[in-house]
Amino acid sequence: MSSNSARSNILNKLKEQVSGADYTKLPNEVGYQYPTLSHQQHVAKFVGHLETNHAQVIKLKDSDIARVVVEQLKQRNISTIMTGKDTEASKLLTEIESDIAIEVYDFDLAADEPEHKENKERLFNDTPAGITSSCGAIAATGSIVLWPTINEPRSLSLVPPVHFVIVDADTMVQDFASLMKAQQWHDKLPTNALLISGPSKTADIQQTLAYGAHGPKELIVLLVNA
Amino acid sequence: MTTLNTQHLRNYPTKPEKVYFYGTCLADSLFPDSGMDAIEFLEKQGVEVLYPQGQTCCGQPAYNSGFEDEAKAVALAQVAQFPLDIPIVIISGSCGGMMRHHYPDLLKGEPGIENFCERIFEFTEFLVNVLKIKLDDKGQPEKIALHTSCAARREMGVHITGQALIKQLDNVELVTHKYESECCGFGGTFSIKHGDISGEMVKDKSKNLLDADVVRYISADWGCMLNINGALEYQKKSLRGEHIASYLLKRTQDIEASIKENKQSALFKEAK
Amino acid sequence: MTSHINEPNESKYAKSARAFRGNVTRDLANDELRSNFRGAMDYLVDKRKNSFPSADELETLREQCKLIKQRCLLKLPHLLEQLETNLEANGIKVHWAETITEANEIIAQLITDKNGKTVVKGKSMVSEETALNDHLEAQNIECLESDMGEYIVQLAGQHPSHIIMPAIHQNKKQVADLFADNIDGFEHTTDVDALIGEGRRVLREKFCHADVGITGVNFAVAETGTLCLVENEGNGRMCTTVPNLHIAITGIEKVVEFLDDVPPLLSLLTRSATGQIISTYFNMISSPRKNGEKDGPEEVHLVLLDNGRSQAFADEELRQTLQCIRCGACMNHCPVYTRIGGHAYGTVYPGPIGKIVSPHMLGLEATNNLPTASSMCGACGEVCPVKIPIPKLLQRLRVESVKATTGKPEVMKGEGSGRKTIEAIIWKGWSLLHKHSILYNTSMWFATRLRKLMPNNIGVWTSVRTAPKLAPQTLHEKIKARQKLNTKKGDS
Repeated sequence: MSSNSARSNILNKLKEQVSGADYTKLPNEVGYQYPTLSHQQHVAKFVGHLETNHAQVIKLKDSDIARVVVEQLKQRNISTIMTGKDTEASKLLTEIESDIAIEVYDFDLAADEPEHKENKERLFNDTPAGITSSCGAIAATGSIVLWPTINEPRSLSLVPPVHFVIVDADTMVQDFASLMKAQQWHDKLPTNALLISGPSKTADIQQTLAYGAHGPKELIVLLVNA
Repeated sequence: MTTLNTQHLRNYPTKPEKVYFYGTCLADSLFPDSGMDAIEFLEKQGVEVLYPQGQTCCGQPAYNSGFEDEAKAVALAQVAQFPLDIPIVIISGSCGGMMRHHYPDLLKGEPGIENFCERIFEFTEFLVNVLKIKLDDKGQPEKIALHTSCAARREMGVHITGQALIKQLDNVELVTHKYESECCGFGGTFSIKHGDISGEMVKDKSKNLLDADVVRYISADWGCMLNINGALEYQKKSLRGEHIASYLLKRTQDIEASIKENKQSALFKEAK
Repeated sequence: MTSHINEPNESKYAKSARAFRGNVTRDLANDELRSNFRGAMDYLVDKRKNSFPSADELETLREQCKLIKQRCLLKLPHLLEQLETNLEANGIKVHWAETITEANEIIAQLITDKNGKTVVKGKSMVSEETALNDHLEAQNIECLESDMGEYIVQLAGQHPSHIIMPAIHQNKKQVADLFADNIDGFEHTTDVDALIGEGRRVLREKFCHADVGITGVNFAVAETGTLCLVENEGNGRMCTTVPNLHIAITGIEKVVEFLDDVPPLLSLLTRSATGQIISTYFNMISSPRKNGEKDGPEEVHLVLLDNGRSQAFADEELRQTLQCIRCGACMNHCPVYTRIGGHAYGTVYPGPIGKIVSPHMLGLEATNNLPTASSMCGACGEVCPVKIPIPKLLQRLRVESVKATTGKPEVMKGEGSGRKTIEAIIWKGWSLLHKHSILYNTSMWFATRLRKLMPNNIGVWTSVRTAPKLAPQTLHEKIKARQKLNTKKGDS
């Protein structure tokens, strides 16, 4: 199917209108100068925004992660958690002694083979919790940055109704613009980059807020180095 | 359209010796006394008021209906009436907005337009920012509401000056009515072309003013008041709106002096 | 590639737009609808206000975002080419559609090529614009809306009434009734958590098994070849992650030049729309799944739609219409929209933005009633995050609507179609009268003297108000008399 004529028709119409445009004489775009805050203030803002959006934030040490996760799961009567493959979380959780079943996301979600189809069903219907890492934190909006990888797929932070995410406060920056600069996003973006700022929600029914629309109903932020 | 938060920044002149007065077509044909009151008020502040008899209408009705050629012809005729480089004080934010903010576009390229538009001042704006007026309230205590037209609010930012003037009246309590910044539904030909929607809007506005439980409401725009007063009268309510010019004149007059004035105006009628 | 549809979809919205006046009468009389809208608008106005505590910050951002959008529009053809190059380099295929029929056919073909039978849709107003669901259903492709509001609206056999909150015209009791009537096993309750839980349950199964995910795009970044989606629910992520084929559709005006353009636009978008400093998810897609990745679609496509946008583009003043980032703030603040609701417009995009964009998509002839259905209060222009001068554009569309045409459209399809000879004559007469003060003053003299003959019944005006009463003397006359009197006094 060719849409070449549509392409050239559209582009020609547009080009005709701006053929004389001088792109060197564009008006100056002035951004707002937000006050610079200290790292502690950033952390406080970050936590505040997340909590306002119904996320749970737990400040802790690296070494406590596994213990805290197990506690949180037990509180919710959850006995299974899915991790990525060979991730910090998978290591920590398999090391600790507990009766929590650790499942590893080691299958192809789109595969047609029956055994893989079962994995998909299991992910959707039988995986009460998932845990991922993150690669950044934004104070101004209370946002956690994820670049899903081969080992930690996108759906791991989306499908299970409870999402644990490990966030390193040392990666915290003031705002989205500075994050992109600091991590040089302009050079190369991954398949999927995400900003997550709370559990899934909607106010579509009579403007009444409800959580757990389609994404995770709970977001538990494990904040280290805070 | 300019928005409020460009702060309507403009350089205000110092108090002039004389000004032009623009009455607007609605005041001319329906509410001339408010024009007379505004002129008298300005004169009382020591400003000579010139009224070119050749003025008719700012052209907004045709402009808003999409008939720009017709609007332009009338607009040019208005401009020609005000040749002196002195302020033009106008008792409507709607017509003021038309002349100040839409004439530059409508009359683009015509000589003298920039200067003309710069000289347009809405009545309350002129009082507060040019005359820097201080009002001495001689009236009885009462509660009122203020309705500012959308153009006055959003094109000229003069809800601020209107409020400031009322707040200077020590015996007057200004009550905020519900949905105060919401349109009353006049919109000129909108009230005819989409009368059903306009009707619902004015019903709501009149209800909100009635709920404010005030003895009267004040406005600087006859378009709105024609609309709202008409609805209130239709509903057989006693609440009415007055033009701010008439209200300020009344509040700042000595009772004795005003009796004298009334005698004089009776003489006017006779002299005519 | 032939069209399977006999009747072009263009006429569906044109028909309903023409029915504006009847729709308004119907909806103004619907008390429940009016109450729903009043409550919803008050809520959204308040939320937005609270998210902008600093007027300084707001106005700086608005000016910045206006300039960003204007720059991107000025460079539009070049940015579209750059976007296409970078998307394709990333493995995302780009398709171009001039009309909504073309867009639908491209999408249907992509799906049938893969033997797709079920589609889950993230929220996409552009897909509403093309009436995509109708087109796909006619080819036996199940097309299920997954945004909660869209899901509700689809169940009810309706269209969205707001561009951000599609089911805003319903209250929770109506939703509960709807679910009870349509979802097997649902026990009637107005508890919103339970209702959302039910929607989640139904749609989760669909996400798991759908062949295709279709979404819109909030920002398409030319610099990096990236599609950005804004959402709170997670259904957009589901649609772009789980099915093996992802098709995105958007208007040509949605492209931005730089990644750096995104943060200020995003900040204004979410705050203007729902008063949120950011949406729950900001989803940036730069390619289909790569080798070794375990999820994500193998194929990602972007369809770029014109449908009248190039017409708006061709006029420098009307081009400002395309600055829109689809936040919905204009309709939230509109006193007309608040009272007539979103369906009355009959167009995909309601409210003030709908009034200025629909004439380009549907032609002025079908939409002549829209630009005049405004009191020009300016509440919309005051809150537009990209400073579109909506009232000025409404006035401009009125000019286009009533102008005398020579036959060949100069500016837009349907220009001059709103011109009525009688109205043109009235304004000519009005102009003559007001140009010549002698004529004016004379006619005013007659009018005031004959004022008692003025009718008390003037059509719509007097259905809710008393008729205006002419004064016994005009201001002109009173001043003249006063001057005479003063002169007399001066003489004596």
